[in-house]
Amino acid sequence: MDEAKRSALNEFWINLKTAPGQIYRAMFRGGAPVSDRTRSSFVFGNVFLHLHSVRTHLWSLKWSTTMGLGLITTAAFLITLVTGILLMFYYKPYPDVAYQSIKDIHFIVPTGRFMRNIHRWAANVMVVAVILHMARAFYTASYRKPREFNWFIGWGLLVTTLALSFTGYLLPWDQLAYWAITIGANIAQSPREITDAMGITEYFDIGGLQREILLGSEIVGEESLIRFYLLHVMILPLILAMLMAVHFWRIRKDGGLAKPKNVDELVAADQKEHYPVFTEAPQKTYQLAAVVKGKTPAVGSGPENTVPSMPHLFYAELGVLMFTVLICFILAFVSDAPLKELANPLVPENPAKAPWYFLGLQEIVSFSAFMGGIGIPMLCWIGLGLIPFLDKETEGTGEWFGGPGGAKLVGWSALYGFATSIAVEAFAIRFGWLREWFPDIPQLVITFVNPGTVITVLYAAFSIWVLRRFNSTRAGALALFTCFLAGFIVLTVIGTHFRGPNWDFFWSPSHWPGH
Amino acid sequence: MKKNKYLLLFSSIGVLLLLLAAAASENFLKDWHYIQSTAKTQDGPIDVRLRQIVNNDLKRADRCVTCHVGMAPGETIISELKVAQPHKPVVHDITTMGCTTCHGGQGQATEKDDAHGNVHFWMEPMLPAKYAYAGCGTCHTPLNVPNLEILNAARRTFEKLDCYACHRLDGRGGTLRPGGDVTGMEGPDLSHVGIKGYDREWYAAHWEKNKTAPDGPWKNAFREVSDEDQKAVTTFLDTQMGAPKLVEARAQFNSVGCAGCHVVGNFGGENGPELSRSGERDPNQLNFSNVPGDRTLTNWFAQHFRSPASTVAGSLMPAQNLSDDQIDLLTMYTLSLRRRVLPDVFLPKDRVKAMRFGVREFASDPATLYSTICASCHGASGTGMRFPGLPPNPSITNPDLLALASDDFLFAAIRSGRPGRPMLPWGERTNGLKDDEIRSLVAYIRQLGGGIQPEADTKPARWVTGDVAMGGRLFASYCAGCHGPMGSGGDGPAIANKLFLQTATDTFLVETISRGRRGTVMQGFSTPSSVRPALTRVEIEAIAAYIRTLETKN
Repeated sequence: MDEAKRSALNEFWINLKTAPGQIYRAMFRGGAPVSDRTRSSFVFGNVFLHLHSVRTHLWSLKWSTTMGLGLITTAAFLITLVTGILLMFYYKPYPDVAYQSIKDIHFIVPTGRFMRNIHRWAANVMVVAVILHMARAFYTASYRKPREFNWFIGWGLLVTTLALSFTGYLLPWDQLAYWAITIGANIAQSPREITDAMGITEYFDIGGLQREILLGSEIVGEESLIRFYLLHVMILPLILAMLMAVHFWRIRKDGGLAKPKNVDELVAADQKEHYPVFTEAPQKTYQLAAVVKGKTPAVGSGPENTVPSMPHLFYAELGVLMFTVLICFILAFVSDAPLKELANPLVPENPAKAPWYFLGLQEIVSFSAFMGGIGIPMLCWIGLGLIPFLDKETEGTGEWFGGPGGAKLVGWSALYGFATSIAVEAFAIRFGWLREWFPDIPQLVITFVNPGTVITVLYAAFSIWVLRRFNSTRAGALALFTCFLAGFIVLTVIGTHFRGPNWDFFWSPSHWPGH
Repeated sequence: MKKNKYLLLFSSIGVLLLLLAAAASENFLKDWHYIQSTAKTQDGPIDVRLRQIVNNDLKRADRCVTCHVGMAPGETIISELKVAQPHKPVVHDITTMGCTTCHGGQGQATEKDDAHGNVHFWMEPMLPAKYAYAGCGTCHTPLNVPNLEILNAARRTFEKLDCYACHRLDGRGGTLRPGGDVTGMEGPDLSHVGIKGYDREWYAAHWEKNKTAPDGPWKNAFREVSDEDQKAVTTFLDTQMGAPKLVEARAQFNSVGCAGCHVVGNFGGENGPELSRSGERDPNQLNFSNVPGDRTLTNWFAQHFRSPASTVAGSLMPAQNLSDDQIDLLTMYTLSLRRRVLPDVFLPKDRVKAMRFGVREFASDPATLYSTICASCHGASGTGMRFPGLPPNPSITNPDLLALASDDFLFAAIRSGRPGRPMLPWGERTNGLKDDEIRSLVAYIRQLGGGIQPEADTKPARWVTGDVAMGGRLFASYCAGCHGPMGSGGDGPAIANKLFLQTATDTFLVETISRGRRGTVMQGFSTPSSVRPALTRVEIEAIAAYIRTLETKN
């Protein structure tokens, strides 16, 4: 009796002493990640990590393969998530009060200014990175079979990212926010140009409806603020997170990153650098996966040229994460997020500018609301989404600028894209457009003939010429995508830097009158 | 790959360094750390920490004293830095009132530019040192202020009588009795008597002392004071609130007729916007496109006074050709119109008087009444004003008018106004002019016009019996050009004004038509001009009869 009692107490004492080790062993069920087996179990035994394959191809680890752009986007999202939650502790989503709470965050809340700056910069990094990530996926022809659907998901992620950024723009409730959202809402209303021209706005006001759904009322008011807040902190992040989960999952299910045909030769040199590749001779090969039916790309491939994801892939991922944090911190350290005066519906900003990534659209909107707001963006969106289904060639998959024409074609396309858009814009700025020459011209004519549509048509013509010349859809796609990217850059820069009050052209914002 | 490890290593180090830098700059590199580290008390160096004055009633948390550490509560700090010096002595206990209550600025901020509000888009920057007294307007209201001319004359009288010999006023004057601070000043400090009150029979009391005192200052320093000077001194004392510059600014406001169109506090006209809280306006909500210089409220006000219509599009406020000094004072006054909503314990006496008891912010002598209410439209000397694009404002000191208009006519015009015109019913409004004030104003206007008294008129108010049809034809051909069809007004005043026709006698109408008004385009119709013959007495009476019919038509 006494004996048993003492031993139970003894056991308890021993258990208590060994508790830390037990927790560690319970966490890493298979033991510390030191062998292939335990490294694998480290990955598949972890709810978050098991989205990764346990082994990673050397090609995926090369910096030149992806430049880490997808990871940067993800990292930026995580940063905005963390800082955004911190900001929510102090932010109050109600007109005027919202503004004061941002002032408080800026001036009084310890590290509040820094957090807000990081949030703002990470959001911008995310927008830039997601666009570059898309360009990377396009230029390496990674959208091709079996990755079409993942391109599609990415396409949704791009839209969601822009929507997240746009909804966040209103929250400070300052003049900048207020009028940017007003412009954005007016862009949503732009189908009215067509319905007005046809005289049916009274019966069928799709533009007005879109605007009202976006704002929740006729003007940007408290309804809009709550709406944008909810979208920004709840609905869109959830959508984004879900799409991201699918996006990552599909990477693995689609056989990892797209690789060129001769990938084994390309990574042969890297193979030696890596330790460990295999710490114990594989007793089973991945051939066993052949019992899985279907066309999963991993089926039938050996584990050649792969290294354990733990630690190689995770070093890379953590490295990119910290790199992104660093970039955001540096930007946040040197530049404060803007906060203008309290929103005042009676005093329009002049110029009122949308967030920068919409300024290219606003530039076309200044000629035709419909084309800038709906027509051309829709064309681009639909075109982007359809890319994997229109280009079914196989040449150059996984290679930068792969496909007929290659980098040289992309270079020429970029030159053409820049030259054309700059020339058309310069012409319109210098000589005006149809409205200046024929004041009575119907708006419908301008809707279809304006700098935006002219640039679009010139790009399309060039792309068709390239397509015929190389007799390749990929070549045509390369030309078109590059042109549009160039046009996006040119129009965005003009809208951001060269447009002043009344949307007039100025060489520099310092030349604006009255400031 | 090694590259990834290095990326992780260096990025993490970079992040760590930046975090350290951010922590260091937030905790050690701020200016106030340096300022406080140089300051010490007699007991040695002071703690370096955030200091603040919190006043929950006034909703203040002012961290200004973190840098201005010499002003911090309970500190007797010695520092060579100018910023850390103690506040100069003031009436209020700054350790309870806070700093931004008077000075404006952003109390919560702990960096100079942010705190002083010199950052883009801070709504309430600090009041410029030059206009510091405008800060008193947050709580206080100057009361009983005469116009600038009277105020200056009163101050000169106060100086001439050498009241400063015994009394202290705003830190000036006052002789210490032998024995210094212990025995105190010869006379009481008069700096705040306008608020706190004083013996209105001061002269009698002084005179009594002078007569009974055997020797000493009462006998030697006090002399007989004329009635006029007594009045001036009283006028001067009534205004004393410890903010001489603010009183001067209000006096300027009372000199150019602003209250004729603008409400401030409990009195004013409604033709222009109310100004009671104009000093609280957010400069960021104002249009600066035609205002050169900084985007500050001060600058905007100054430019607005210089040229109202170009600053505010569509403004009907006439430019008053103000001098730079006048603009400066008016700018200061409008800046002072802050009038926070205050918890009762913080309501000063003067504000209570104005809010609850209707005490006016201007003095009630006729000259001040005239310059406060009438001067902007009728001119400083009553000769009328013309502003581009607006109907002319009539001369009220025209000898022909004053000779024909009875005192009752002028009284009624001031009391009941002219409906449809900027001339408001000054006697029929809350806190409006009392009857005896209007009477004194009528007398003052006559005085401005050279003392012309009305001619004796024995006829009844309505005696004209003329041919209305003929009168109508004559009116159409001779009068309607200026006075408008049916007397509705044009370049000349509207005749068909109900209150005008009610109070104007037939003699007034007939004589005005026949004699005209000197100095205006209204020529007497009993003498011929180059474009028309003289009208006969019958014809003039016919016109007057026609004018009478307009009374019922409207």
